[in-house]
Amino acid sequence: MARREVGEINAGSMADIAFLLLIFFLVTTTMEVDAGIGRTLPLKREQQNNEPIDIRERDILEILANSNDELLVEGKPTDISELEEIVRDYYTANANGSETDPTMPTYDLRTIPICQQKIGEIQGLVDADPDNPDLNRELEKWKTKLALCQEIPTGSYYEISKMAIIQLKNQANTSYGLYIQVQNILKKVVNELRQKKCEEFGWDDYFELDQESVDGQEKIKMLRVLVPERIVEAKIER
Amino acid sequence: MGKFKKGGGKDIPGVNTSALPDIIFMLLFFFMVATTMKEVEMQVDVKKPVADQALALEDKDNVDFVYIGYPIDASQGTEPRIQLDDMLAPDYTFVSDWKQMKAREGKTPFDIVTSLKVHKDVGMRIVSNVKEELREIDAIKINYSADQRD
Repeated sequence: MARREVGEINAGSMADIAFLLLIFFLVTTTMEVDAGIGRTLPLKREQQNNEPIDIRERDILEILANSNDELLVEGKPTDISELEEIVRDYYTANANGSETDPTMPTYDLRTIPICQQKIGEIQGLVDADPDNPDLNRELEKWKTKLALCQEIPTGSYYEISKMAIIQLKNQANTSYGLYIQVQNILKKVVNELRQKKCEEFGWDDYFELDQESVDGQEKIKMLRVLVPERIVEAKIER
Repeated sequence: MGKFKKGGGKDIPGVNTSALPDIIFMLLFFFMVATTMKEVEMQVDVKKPVADQALALEDKDNVDFVYIGYPIDASQGTEPRIQLDDMLAPDYTFVSDWKQMKAREGKTPFDIVTSLKVHKDVGMRIVSNVKEELREIDAIKINYSADQRD
């Protein structure tokens, strides 16, 4: 018995239906992106090593957020909207090595000879104590500084006082929301200043720097020297 | 002139399903790409704060999540609690043990980022305690989870 030929249904529009579905899902699906502000806490070990060094009042930016979610910057009541300007000023007031604002951190001149001399000194110490992680880190830092001097046409740059730290103090009932707002502002200013440096040197955008390549990592290290992010958080009593 | 076949409608033509696999595969691929696995069953309510400088978290396999928020189950009280994996921790001292337990092959707690997902109204005391606990074991890489915009 011969089978009868069956006419086929036109399936050409199937693709349209599929696309419709696809577009529907594309539009309706919201993907949760995990985002956040990255920070590195100070190592436990480091604190013990820090002998009390004379800390100058001007080097420290104290930001206190109290239990009522009020901000006190350097002891003065401050609105959150003013903080960004204060932090920016903290970084930039004396950035050209001048004494424009005696209440803000100083900037020190770094030149190729200074860096080379420092590297020599530290190298001597490292040779005597090769496994000391702090010395090795210090040596790395100065090598980055030297590379930075060589990168800049004038062969020198101004570096913020190494004691310049931003001190964050919270109280037991300070809301996490306010804390993040403060962290966000600090991050914003630092990102902005680093981006400015990138433009100055004719590098790629700060966020476009290739973290995988040696060159990119080197540049990020240099930016960290130029615009350091030294945040110290006071512990809340348990 | 054409011949009209009479009674030809008796045979119902079979539906052409040759495109069906394509569609199914397309949907499958779409969901495979778009779906983010739910990490844990949430025991606490976390309304994340907003921070426009927040960056997307990379390499999620090497991230541990700590949730701090208000318990969803009312019998657990109204005080903020810490959730580790699927469990509510009795207090913050459990964080370091948990973090060490989560250690991965060839990685120390130092290498693995801890993402803190904290409700924005929670007080800083509990957050500070957790951070101190993490510092004790050198798990110093922290990510404060935040929404990029509201």
